[in-house]
Formats: sequence, C-alpha cells, structure tokens
Amino acid sequence: MATVLSGNAAAAWGFRLSRVQCYPYYPITPSTGCSQQISRWVNDGAMDALTINAESEHSAASQIIAAGKSVRAGTATSSKGLLYMIEVLENAAGAGVPAGIFLGNRATGAPINIWADNTDAYAMRDSGAIQLFASDAQSALDGVIQGYRIAEDIKVRLPFSVNLRGFTGTHAYEGVEIPDQKAVDSLLPSYVPLYSLFAPGKPVTYGAMLSAYPYRRHKRNQMEVLRQATAVAQKVGKEFGKTFGRAYGLFEWIGDPKADLVIALMGESASPGEVVVRHLQGREGIPGVALLKIRLFSPFPAREIAEALAKAKTKAVVVLDEGLQHGAVFPPLAQRLTTAVHLHLEGKGPRIASVIGGLGGSEVRQEHFQLMFALADNIAAGKPVRTEPYWLDIDEDPIFCESEAQVSPKLLKKWGEVWRRHERKEKYFAPIPADTHEIRIYSRAGQGAITSAVGFTGAGILSGHQLLTVPAFGSERRGAIITTDTLINLNKDKKVRSFNRAWNAVVLYDDTILYSPEHQVLDGLKEGGLLLVNTANLTTKKIRQILNASESRVRVFTVNANEIAHRIGLKHINMTMLGAFHKAYQEIPFDVAQTYYEKNVPRPRDASMEAIRQGFAQTTDQVTIKPKKESRLVTTQEFLDWRPDDHGMESWPSAVEEYQHG
Amino acid sequence: MKPEERILESPNKHKDFVVSGSLVSIRDRQSKLATQAEAASKAEGKVLTAGEILTIEEVAAKSIDGLDMAKTLSAMGDIGPEARLFIYRPNGKLARHEVFADPRVCVDIHRGAVIENLTEKPKDVSGWRTHEFFIDTKGCLGDECGRCAIVCPENAIHLRGKGKGSFHEIDPLACKGCYICWVECVRTAADCILVDGKTFDPVMRAKHFGE
Repeated sequence: MATVLSGNAAAAWGFRLSRVQCYPYYPITPSTGCSQQISRWVNDGAMDALTINAESEHSAASQIIAAGKSVRAGTATSSKGLLYMIEVLENAAGAGVPAGIFLGNRATGAPINIWADNTDAYAMRDSGAIQLFASDAQSALDGVIQGYRIAEDIKVRLPFSVNLRGFTGTHAYEGVEIPDQKAVDSLLPSYVPLYSLFAPGKPVTYGAMLSAYPYRRHKRNQMEVLRQATAVAQKVGKEFGKTFGRAYGLFEWIGDPKADLVIALMGESASPGEVVVRHLQGREGIPGVALLKIRLFSPFPAREIAEALAKAKTKAVVVLDEGLQHGAVFPPLAQRLTTAVHLHLEGKGPRIASVIGGLGGSEVRQEHFQLMFALADNIAAGKPVRTEPYWLDIDEDPIFCESEAQVSPKLLKKWGEVWRRHERKEKYFAPIPADTHEIRIYSRAGQGAITSAVGFTGAGILSGHQLLTVPAFGSERRGAIITTDTLINLNKDKKVRSFNRAWNAVVLYDDTILYSPEHQVLDGLKEGGLLLVNTANLTTKKIRQILNASESRVRVFTVNANEIAHRIGLKHINMTMLGAFHKAYQEIPFDVAQTYYEKNVPRPRDASMEAIRQGFAQTTDQVTIKPKKESRLVTTQEFLDWRPDDHGMESWPSAVEEYQHG
Repeated sequence: MKPEERILESPNKHKDFVVSGSLVSIRDRQSKLATQAEAASKAEGKVLTAGEILTIEEVAAKSIDGLDMAKTLSAMGDIGPEARLFIYRPNGKLARHEVFADPRVCVDIHRGAVIENLTEKPKDVSGWRTHEFFIDTKGCLGDECGRCAIVCPENAIHLRGKGKGSFHEIDPLACKGCYICWVECVRTAADCILVDGKTFDPVMRAKHFGE
C-alpha cells in the first residue's frame, strides 16, 4: 500500500534506498525536509551513513565530491544554495565524480522569493551534471535511485541532480510506493570507486592543472561521456520499469501519438496539462493534442525529441519554461528545443513558440494549458508568431489580445499585428468537468491543520482513493491565517495532481477567520458545498448571516472543537476537527479512516482517537443548537485577558535582574 | 557523574588528546603509540578496493577467476579496439564485470583527467636552468642529512646507497636550477653543492644571501 509522503521525504527515501554513505548538507527552503529526514534516520540508526553539518553549500558540495570518489554521496539544496554549489560542481563533472543532488526548485533573488520555479536548475544546466526532472513525489524517489545508477555507470561517471518543484512538489503529501530494499539493491549495486583512496601503490591526482593540449583533449572526452548518459538513462528507466512497474523514458509523450499541437514542458506542472489533454482530445474541431513532458534536461536528448516530433508530424510546439535566468531573453528549454529541431530536422520541423510561466510560485493552471493549445492552433495554421517569449498571467502582455486598451502600448506597437491576426478559438476554452473533490482548510498557523490534512490523506488512500494535500507556505507566522488544500480523485483510472480551485468543502479551524477581510471563505465554494466551522457560540444561522449567505445552498456545520480538545486534555484542536470533518463529508468512510488513524495519529494516541470520535459525534448542521458558554484553552484565555494596564512596564523584571537572581 | 573518557587516535608522540563529553583536553602521553607497522596494517584494511578497466590485450594476457573468458573476449572483439572490460574484485573475488566501449575520443587522457602519478613520464625541464648543479659525493652526508632532497620542489634529488658511503644525486632532467638546495645545504663550508663546477662564488652568494 502506498505511504503518505511529502516530496522531500520521498527524495530522502530515494537516498536511503540507494544506501547513500555520505550525506553532507546545509539546509535551505524548500529542500530542508529531505536533509532533516535523513539526519533523523542516521541518528536513529535506520540509515548507515555519515551526515555532515557543512558550514555552507559550497562545503557540502565539496564534501560530496571528496566522498564521491570513494563512496556513494548525496545532498539536497535549492535556489541560492545551488548557485553557491555550482562553483564546485563543475569540478565534479570535470573529474568524473558521480554524486547526487536533490533539488527543490526555487526562484533565485533578487528579489527574494522562496517559491518554486526552475531558475536554479537552469543556472546549473552548464555545470556538466545530469539533470532529471521529477513530476511528483514518486518520480522523485525513483529518480534518485535511477540517478545513482546512471551516474555510476562505467560509461558515464558524472554527478546528477533530481529536480522537483518547490512546495507544490516538495511539500505536497501524496501516496508513494516505497520500493523494496532488496529489489533496489539488485538494480543498484554497491558503489565501485575507480581509484582507491590513499592507496600507497597507486597514488592519483584529481583536478590537476592541464595545459591547452591535454585540456582540450579532456574536454573532447567529457562531451562524449556526457552524451553516453542519454542512452544509459533510457536503458535504466526501462530496467526500472521491469523491476518496479514504473518505466521512465527520456521524455513522456502524453496524448495523441499523431498530435499536431504539442506543449513541451518539464516537471510537476504537467499535471494540469494532462487533465486538459484528456479534456480536449477527440473534441470536435480540435486537432490532435499532446504534452511532451521532458524528464532528462541535461544532456538534452535533442535527437530523440526531434525524431519524436517528426514522427508525429507535429505542426506547432509551445514550450513552457517555468523559470528565467536573470540574463535570459529567450528561456533555456525553448532554446534547447529550438536548437534540437533546427539541427536535426533541417527546417522541416514544427514551428515553435516560447511561453514563460509558473515563475516564483505562480501556479500553472488548467486554463493556461487551454490558452497555450489555442496559441499552438494559431501557429499551426501558419499565422505569424512572436520571436520573443509569451508570458502567462501578465495583463499588459496577454497571449490573446482581447482589448487593445489593456495591453502595453509599447508592445502593441511591436506585436500588434501578431495579436490582431491571432484568433482566440472558443472551442479550446470549454469548461473542464471536475472529477475531483477539493477541500480547503483555513486555519491559524500552529493549529495543526497540516497534520490533520495529512492524516486525512492517509485515510483516503487506505479507502482506495488517490489524494493529494498541498499546504500553502511562506508568509505565515504563528497565528497567521493559512490554507491547506486537499484533492480527492474520484476517477480511479487516472492520477490527478491539479486543483480546479472549486471547493467541495471549506473548513475553518477558528471562527474569527469569518471576520477576516482578506479571506472570503465562501469564494470558490461550490453550490451545495459544505462549510464546517469550529465555534463555541455561533449558530449555523449566525454564520450564514455573517457571510451574507442566508439564501445560499451551502450546508453549514458547526463543532465546538476547543471545548472537546480542552476536556480531553489536548493542546491542539486538529484531531477533533478531523473527526468533525468526517461527519460533514462522508465520501471517505469513517470506519476505514479510523483503522488508519488508530495507527497513525499523533501521540497520545488514545486521546487523539477520543478527540476524533467526539468531534465526529458532536458536529451538527442544526440551527437550533443552544450556544454553549465559550470555552478556551487556558493559554488562549490568558492571552485574551491580558491588558497593558494590568502590568506597568516597571513591574516587569529586567533582563539584568533575572540574570542576577540566577 | 564524570563523563567517560576517550583518547583520540593521534600520531603525536608526546601528547594525548582526551575527550570527555564535549571537552577535549591535552595531557602528556600515557597511552602506547601504535607502531608504524600497526598503523600501516590498520591503514591497509581501510584501503578501498577499486574497480579495474582492462583492454582486450590485457584481458587476453591473464585469466580472471569466475569470468567466462571466451565469452568476454568475443564480446570485446565485437566492439573493437575501444572495447574495455570493467571488473571489480573486492577481496580477490569477482563481484562485477561489464564489457563496454570506451567513450573517450582521446585515449591518452584518463577519465576525469585523473593523473596516475607513478605512471606519468617525467618531463625534461633541463632547458629551464641557466646553471648546472652537481652534488659533490665527497662533501655529502648521505642519509644522515637529506635536507636538499626534502626542500627540492621538483623532487629531483634522490638518495643513493645506504648508511656510510651513501650520497645524494641530482636528476639532471628534473632540476630547474632554482638554487633552493644550494641555499639550504648545511654543508656550505664543505662545498657540497657545486654550481657550474664552482665550489664557492662570493658574487652568487651575495646575490642569494644578501651578504
């Protein structure tokens, strides 16, 4: 059965199953979780490795290179941390050291941005490492194992990185099949160094200075070695499929094998694209559509991709780059694909347009794919195409210009002709029916909403569904309002990882969120959806009044979770709310869920289970509930009761006094 | 309670490094120093076995236990001259083997530009020097001194012989003529190192010592 893991934890499992022997790290958001997990395993004795708390990413990279000459080594990093490593990584590639890096992809400042895009991976693209892009937690785990196999192949011997989109990939919780250790061992034999370390009989020098003649000859060899990685990656992906039933290629062609219109992209954002491809396929008046999900970015499988496009007789390719280096006017994936088509198809290839989106944590949504397919349709019809990239979600620079007053006048002068001749074909924009249920939790940071949502995910997976939980991270502090989203896939055949942002249920862990001007909790809630509120003294009627929803068909449930948690003696209300949610939302059977919770809820387990059961029992959608006396946790009450007048500042002990009194 | 004490392994002959808790203290040596032989045998155990990469000639010349030689050689023959056999034999037992085509184009450069120090051909740098250096065997203290051999940056000075009658010799291909041995020689008075056949040149001495 699948285990619920975050993307980071899945990558950590990848390192653990690969039996990594040396893991130096310098943690950085969003890949910290991977290092944290490995560090814990090593401490507990579950993993036999040496972890080193490096003093910088530069040192961590140096250490994996030093270790990687003799043992299997790996680390995880992101963003600026990776940029700091790149200086050393070129040594790894030049000296042929197979070490592994897991990357939680993140933007690089300035301006500072902790959220996802591929800019860091793009910065590393010329450092000589093999770059694999994972699209979910499972492929991150599989990618790390395969990465070591590819990197350590006797024909290759190069460093590698496995990329996963930050937060929506690294912090998303989903069901992951953890492979069997024995099967992994048979696929990935132990590390073999090419030179013994400190062997007295055969001393060697790595990275010695070479003059022009041997240097250029070495570079000639290095390029040839990097080329080998393409074939090896393909072979290893196939072998992996034979062992574990999940085969991987250099890229994945999703959709019509004879697609006229193709969107090329990498990584996790392909999931909304898959939904759109399924939706558009076979619709009247729409030519064949497909996604080209590229997995191996470096070395770029140019010939293979060009051949695939030629075989499908594709007419237009829209390349989506989810990152842009600071010096780029044309982004890297589009560049590489354009070069591939130009070199290998000699002018007979498809027309190409570049689109930039998903920057700094921007979501690439289903409607973006509809837009891009509509754009591809125009290009395939022979209409003029912009030679500079298109952008997603920039109002002044839209893909289709609906009102010329809105767009930037500068751009109108330059690209007005292209905009005018393009036609936004409505058949691409038919609404996509959702076969998912989506739940949003509004809570205050520290209330444990993620723990309960992850628990719910596990329960859902046990009852046979595919679930995904994506918490929002970033600007929260303790007490701030945060959201945690869970997706339940009702279509058992196909995996879905993209949200429609139409909520079947909204849960408020705190009734004060009702008054927050920044959060309109009914926004996006489906008609007939349910709203569950943790409240001590609001009736469902009152809640409707506050939300101006007296006439709405929204079903409102209330529970007094504070009181229940307080009575049981729990500090957090999350377990009570979990039980309450099962009462309101009955798609996941409560009895199956309970068998999962009994083994997996936070300690003390008995109290947590009691909270779940009581939450379930005491949730109601009745209006006639008698308001109970407000019950708050003692610490909350103290906080609320505190007034500045009660304590003159002079009565507070100063730091000096405290020190003197010991 | 006093935390348990542990002595760090160290080659220092005079001091012990004692770890108790998170504190490291230094005291005069009480523990027995591991003899060189012991240290060497310990280090021997830690040397990792490396994989070997053999050409078809090398494979043909020797027999490898546990390997189907005929099959391997025919597989290598199919690939051609760039065929290589990768074998890994920890503790002398064959654990892994793979026939592959060497991806290199320039086969004189090792993978990863690694230099195997002992197989490197020495470079003739005799053209660099403007003076000829020579060690007078009569003046040299042999293995009692060896200062010149230690300071030579090019590793051009080698000890010949053993005990009494041993002496040092300069490799004329490796000597760049840097004067370091000449400056550092303890036997200046005995005129051990000759420059251009001269035993003692006041002008040169003034130049190098500022006298």
